[in-house]
Amino acid sequence: MSDGAIVVSDLSKRFRIYHQRSETLKEMLVDRRRSRYEEFWAVKDIDLEIHDGETFGIIGANGSGKSTLLKCMAGILIPDRGKVAVRGRLASLLEVGAGFHPDYSGRENIYLNGAILGLPRRYINSVIDEIVGFAELEQFIDNPVRNYSSGMYTRLGFSIAIHMDPDILLIDEVLAVGDESFQRRCMDHIEGMRREGRTLVFVSHAAESVRRLCDRCLWIDHGVQRALGVTGPVVDAYVGEVNQHEMEALRQAAAGAGASEAGWMGVRLTSLTFTGEKDQASSARTGSGMTVAVGYEAPGPLHGVRFRIAFYPAGQDVLISTQTDDSELGTRTIPASGTVRLAIPQLPFLDGVYGAKVEILDIASGRQYVEIDRPQSFRVQGAGRRETGMALLGHTWEVPLMDPTGAGV
Amino acid sequence: MLGIGWTLLNPLVFMLVYAAVFGALLKVQGPSGKSYLVFLLCGLLPWTFFQQALVMAASSIIANAGVVRKVAFSWMLLTVSTVMAALVNFLISLVLLVPFIIFTKSPVGLPLLAVPGLVIVTFGLSLGLGLMLAAGSVYFRDLQYIINLATMVWFYITPVIWPFTKYEGFFHHGKLGLIFKFIIYANPMTWVTLGFQDIFVFNRWPQHWHGLLYTVVLAAVLIYFGMRVFRRLRRRFAEEI
Repeated sequence: MSDGAIVVSDLSKRFRIYHQRSETLKEMLVDRRRSRYEEFWAVKDIDLEIHDGETFGIIGANGSGKSTLLKCMAGILIPDRGKVAVRGRLASLLEVGAGFHPDYSGRENIYLNGAILGLPRRYINSVIDEIVGFAELEQFIDNPVRNYSSGMYTRLGFSIAIHMDPDILLIDEVLAVGDESFQRRCMDHIEGMRREGRTLVFVSHAAESVRRLCDRCLWIDHGVQRALGVTGPVVDAYVGEVNQHEMEALRQAAAGAGASEAGWMGVRLTSLTFTGEKDQASSARTGSGMTVAVGYEAPGPLHGVRFRIAFYPAGQDVLISTQTDDSELGTRTIPASGTVRLAIPQLPFLDGVYGAKVEILDIASGRQYVEIDRPQSFRVQGAGRRETGMALLGHTWEVPLMDPTGAGV
Repeated sequence: MLGIGWTLLNPLVFMLVYAAVFGALLKVQGPSGKSYLVFLLCGLLPWTFFQQALVMAASSIIANAGVVRKVAFSWMLLTVSTVMAALVNFLISLVLLVPFIIFTKSPVGLPLLAVPGLVIVTFGLSLGLGLMLAAGSVYFRDLQYIINLATMVWFYITPVIWPFTKYEGFFHHGKLGLIFKFIIYANPMTWVTLGFQDIFVFNRWPQHWHGLLYTVVLAAVLIYFGMRVFRRLRRRFAEEI
């Protein structure tokens, strides 16, 4: 009917969630225990055709069913309804190093993995040096893999999978392995596979890597198709919704949070808000203004205190930290309660969710009165800018252009 | 190198212990004045293979949960290779049997040609049952322990340590005898064991060919159903394991 590399028709897969499970014959026969379970559809009515030579992405939040769909394509899970037709030799990289035997050496594991994937020994002999070289394990290849570091382990697993010469390669969220240089080489290799006309299927919740790699993609949500088509619009729609959810979550968090327990000397923080332009709570745009307001309360007036606020991208190190001027506040007293405001006229942060850590300290002793750390404090919207990374850089570009007369420079 | 050393050492020590106990310490007489040691060993070796194969097969899938969950390939190979590994051990132990035969001056000859046939039948029985156990263990974890118990009992209803001919008369004593007869005749390992004993102890072609025919058919049926059960149950391996 069609000549796609992978044709998924009307595929549904349900799982059992056991409330009570008889895992043993004894329970079933002696105790007459019956398993009680609920069924839930992890993937429902998915229709999909992945063309030959295409790089295809599957995106969705955690638990949306994307890995289940991929496992059905790989033949690990058998769908309850519908079917998957695969044309060509398929290799899947669902987990780096799955199937490694810890006691075998790296070299033996390469052969073992190859055998599992159905490759003749002769073929592996011809690529083993490449595999070892790519994984940068020349020195350790004859040591048992149980002694490998996690980095070495993942590099070897990845290297094996991409050298197995598949027509179709399924990859599940494993691209973020190894160090920077290894990742770059993985990307290069994947680019090479694309150019050779291999079919690649990626599963990821990282919108940016899907955007960078994939021609088309599927957005799946709670097991159901939300959008399918050219990557750009699908990823935009997905990111849009994720942002919206995030915003709601942040707003809810902001409504309740911000108050801390009483710290040293009974000082506590009563509120913490981030306000962007147009009074948008917990949301701001790159390059526009944002105000941070910190409410505090103490048993009495405070003398010689320092306020400090540190910003960091969610889950990463501090990007910028700033504190009040000690020479000014060191000799002064502030009221027992009030609000401290930090105004940022031009927010230098790029697209993402940022956390903030707020501290009040005693300048004289350096001791901390109180601290609050909110890993998800506000969302910065900066998508569509030409910069990527974390912080805005004031800059101009100068590029040599051809003279319209054709004389050059 | 050590790996091969261990595979040889295990059956060798096992056989030497039996030789010491039954050859030197307990002067047990074998059937019709034959060596009890050879009688015992040639029944014990196929039995050990059968038992090892079943016990190892039962855990062959669960022990590789990581692979089954993440790599798509013919998972049946995990079980088949396990039974094959037990088979290799068995073949090695059969070779090690040679010095014992020479030492006890047991005459052997042309009937040895029937050994491969018996080996294949035993392998078939092990594989068929092994496949069912391997697939079943994914759903019922205690199957591994049950099979340990079951083979313990099974051992005694197989004429390995007791000479079949000596107790044959008992089968005609009333109802109990009949029940025993039924159990022992239905046990395919009975006929395999008797076959090995015919060859190595009595130097004759396997006599109980009715029983052997039954065993061959049973092995074929077990393999057929073993594969069917496995194929049926493997559909939810990755979820249940």
